[in-house]
Amino acid sequence: MSKYAPRKAQLAREFLEKPTPLKGAQADREWWEMPVDFHDGNWCFPGKPDTLKAIGFPNPRKWAATDEDWQLPDGWEKIIHDGLKERLKKFRSLKLYLDSCVRCGACADKCHFFLGSGDPKNMPVIRAELLRSVYRNDFPMVKKILKGFSGSRKLTKEVIKEWHSYFYQCTECRRCSVFCPLGIDTAEITMVARELLNLIGVNNNWILAPVANCNRTGNHLGIEPHTFVQNIMSLVDDIEELTGITVNPTFNRKGAEILFITPSGDVFGDPGVYTMMGYLLLFHHIGLDYTISTYASEGGNFGLFTTNDMMKKLNAKMYHEAERLKVKWILGGECGHMWRVVHQYMSTMNGPADFLEEPVSPITGTKFTNATSTKMVHIAEFTADLIKHGKLKLDPSRNDHLRTTFHDSCNVSRGMGMLEEPRFVLNSVCNSFNEMPENTIREKTFCCGSGSGINAEEFMEMRMRGGFPRANAVRTVKKQHQVNALITICAIDRATLPPLMRYWNPGVAVYGLHELVGNALVMEGETPRTEDLRENPMAIAEEREDGDA
Amino acid sequence: MKSNWQQIISERKSAILERWLQSALALFPETMASGTPTGEALLDGMSMVLDNFEGNPESCGEGIHSIARIFAVQPLRPSVALSLFPLLQELLMERAPKEADTEALRARISAITFEAFDRFLENREKIYQLKVEETRSQLHMLLRSTQS
Repeated sequence: MSKYAPRKAQLAREFLEKPTPLKGAQADREWWEMPVDFHDGNWCFPGKPDTLKAIGFPNPRKWAATDEDWQLPDGWEKIIHDGLKERLKKFRSLKLYLDSCVRCGACADKCHFFLGSGDPKNMPVIRAELLRSVYRNDFPMVKKILKGFSGSRKLTKEVIKEWHSYFYQCTECRRCSVFCPLGIDTAEITMVARELLNLIGVNNNWILAPVANCNRTGNHLGIEPHTFVQNIMSLVDDIEELTGITVNPTFNRKGAEILFITPSGDVFGDPGVYTMMGYLLLFHHIGLDYTISTYASEGGNFGLFTTNDMMKKLNAKMYHEAERLKVKWILGGECGHMWRVVHQYMSTMNGPADFLEEPVSPITGTKFTNATSTKMVHIAEFTADLIKHGKLKLDPSRNDHLRTTFHDSCNVSRGMGMLEEPRFVLNSVCNSFNEMPENTIREKTFCCGSGSGINAEEFMEMRMRGGFPRANAVRTVKKQHQVNALITICAIDRATLPPLMRYWNPGVAVYGLHELVGNALVMEGETPRTEDLRENPMAIAEEREDGDA
Repeated sequence: MKSNWQQIISERKSAILERWLQSALALFPETMASGTPTGEALLDGMSMVLDNFEGNPESCGEGIHSIARIFAVQPLRPSVALSLFPLLQELLMERAPKEADTEALRARISAITFEAFDRFLENREKIYQLKVEETRSQLHMLLRSTQS
């Protein structure tokens, strides 16, 4: 045997001492000794009974996390046990992730919630251990092999409370998985834990209400088709007022070449609506043959944060609509988790979408071979291709009033590997782009802190803690380069980053990438532009006025 | 003899800053490392306070604000979070020469602590303001959908 191999006694000692990831003040404690505490700002309101009934989810009732009795259904232990057993059989990745962690702790300080809160249970290794400890206790073979040092524990009501607290302090962003030497994806453990909790009615209203709405009307906000159209048409009026150009979107038009689907936040939310105006200008600029559906009126899919079956169902509606409208392929707007679902799960869940064609840009002829299976193309790569082929007339100086930085949305960067395209577009539509520090961007990007359905107002303190690492990186470029615009390609980011910036970095506004595209596009027949899509004065217009004077 | 606390600090800044930062990081449930975003931001804020202890009140205030902003979102009582400033007084006294004007230091630390208290509350109010804004915008959405 090698003289460098560790001695038997050393191994035995390490085995008995059970090294803990807890350090400092907590070093002499086990993580499960630390009590769960629900107080204002660290828990989300549970699903309303009517919402649960609408989607046929179990155990609808009125309750709150601060209640002593959570009114769990009879036999809840068996429900969880059977649910876990079923999922272990169904998802081989889950079994792999539960079995293979060696608790090295490489992930520990990579989670934005740990970095922002200092709570040890927010270390991904311990978050996964919350479920793993029950798995080790409940499953005979594992128990037999690992008994004695596995850190197993019995499933109790306290454990359920702990799960509820900490699996909703994970945004499923997967930053931890980038640093895991074994490639464990803690986000998938969180997904399964949330699925198990939903089996006994332990849930989150900010997730389930959009799910129920989407299930009923086709979008998270529960907006009826006529209101959906009305809203987009009001944006058409705004565009006309600002640019003198009348854009003509069509709705539910059969035979259009492309079906355009974007998160409903772009149609109804501020600042998402300005991004929508950017899309409409772009499509008009290139004369795209597209239609918008008022039924598949949501790109987002909160099923991803609920259950696998719900994710599948909500994803399917987009494809059914594409089939009904007989389009060739789907163009998707700026969204984060929509792309995670499409890129990672759609093909095996509802695909392949053989009734559609392999996407080809009608303007440049580029084949999007990466979307051969899903038939769905991300707008950032579509626009990047247009710019690369010189098909857009752009004046980047129209964005000179903005000094930008770019936030890589977790699901787009880590979930589908799109890193260059948005940067290429951004560099083409503005003159001041400044990267945040290297360890906070691209695949190492920090989450906004409110993704995966925890963007609830009652959760604000926790969101500010979780979003702090991202905000701190923005602070760096704000200080160094006087950045005043944070650009994103995710609708949830556009909803969550404005309050985060208002708290941590006042003076930094949040923009969608295509809002800046819309500002920079030089449209044929336009009236001279003096204001951007938010009706803020453009720097070039002010310079022009100064020159005239 | 009147002491110059700014000079006392600048001569011993790195040792004071190190101890002060470690005490701040120890307030978190799990002691935070100094290289983390929280550690970096606290270091910047604390550095600003020390560099402008008796100098530029604006820069000192900015440092105080950035420290208060971090602790205002943590589940800590204000008395615990703001104990950092009286602690600074102790750290300075330990390192000051005998003839240093302790009364002047006490007065300055009190002023800084009061300012930190104001900023802490301002930030707490900001959090509630953000909650109200989000609730309001949800209400606006609901109204819009019922009106059409």
